[in-house]
Amino acid sequence: MIADTGTKMIHIGKNTRSRIVSKGISGGKSQNSYRGLVQVHKTAENAYNFSQCDSLLLGDKCGAHTFPYLEIKNKSAQVEHEATTSKIGEDLLFYCNQRGLTNEEAVDMIVNGYCKEVFKQLPMEFAVEAQKLLSISLEGSVG
Amino acid sequence: MLEIKNLHAKIGDKEILKGLSLKVNAGEVHAIMGPNGTGKSTLASIIAGKEDYVITAGEILFEGKNLLELSPDERAREGVFLAFQYPVEIPGVSTTNFMKAAVNAKRKHHGLEPIVAKEFLALMNEKRQLVDLDKSYLSRSINEGFSGGEKKRNEIFQMAMLDPKLAILDETDSGLDIDALRIVADGVNKLKNKHNAFLVITHYQRLLNYIVPDYVHIMYDGRIVKTGDKSLALKMEERGYDWIKEEIGV
Repeated sequence: MIADTGTKMIHIGKNTRSRIVSKGISGGKSQNSYRGLVQVHKTAENAYNFSQCDSLLLGDKCGAHTFPYLEIKNKSAQVEHEATTSKIGEDLLFYCNQRGLTNEEAVDMIVNGYCKEVFKQLPMEFAVEAQKLLSISLEGSVG
Repeated sequence: MLEIKNLHAKIGDKEILKGLSLKVNAGEVHAIMGPNGTGKSTLASIIAGKEDYVITAGEILFEGKNLLELSPDERAREGVFLAFQYPVEIPGVSTTNFMKAAVNAKRKHHGLEPIVAKEFLALMNEKRQLVDLDKSYLSRSINEGFSGGEKKRNEIFQMAMLDPKLAILDETDSGLDIDALRIVADGVNKLKNKHNAFLVITHYQRLLNYIVPDYVHIMYDGRIVKTGDKSLALKMEERGYDWIKEEIGV
């Protein structure tokens, strides 16, 4: 699967602040791209944006790509971007296995931990749904 | 409990274990010492089931079962525990959640219902005090930002939670200051009983002052070349490994 997703953040007013957290998970042979547009208009004095883009890879045949787009028209703006890529490696899986967890249980737990920062912002009912959906879509994704 | 017979193992083309035999009974503490690169950690990894190694000959029996046929997670649920030399970090997963999953995986394997929350919390509280681990660590992401000593204490805490039959400590003493060493050793001593066994891998005699072994094995070039009681460890410390090399004639 190829997913090309992204966000737009447009600063128009003075002293506006924004924060973007993007978490992508790629399994199997999928490729995930994140494009994040941050626009700061001329009128947006002292705008501040922080973008964080994390990617998690399951296995070694998938990939993740991050493309930040910054359009800054006001010199007082402060725009920060941070990106990380991590992989559920063999050492991590072995550690979980050694505590009695199967590969599937381990991946489920690691992925949920990875998404926690986003999930905990969601309303309860939705967070429960999201978690279930994640478990289903991960079934059989690690060989 | 554990019986290793003439074990040969290699990684890639390199033969690391060259006919290792070892027998561990319930209620015993065995220490394995030896110079770097003689295969001590390899042995620990193979018992736990790490897949990087190819077993070319020999067998490992655990309570009469062929251990090499079981997956690493099955071995763990059967009661094999490895305290890692370098424990990994799992971002976003608290020690509490991790332990809950592990404890329940083991219970399920033995046909038990998942543990009741109240009981689990009481168990955690009891066991964390064993290694003097502050309550706040349990809600933090596992091993993330922990110091070396805290990671090792966390390993012993997990061992206490899972109550294994066979516990392997892979250089648990490396990187520990004397206080942390004593805490870890105390934890092990309190967990020791006549139904379980410990395999302690170490470079230094120091740890064995606190965890007193019934047997000390010296490993050299992929084999156990000498076995004795705790006085052997003292002799090693005094004379170094060259003495063993002379004794076995290499």
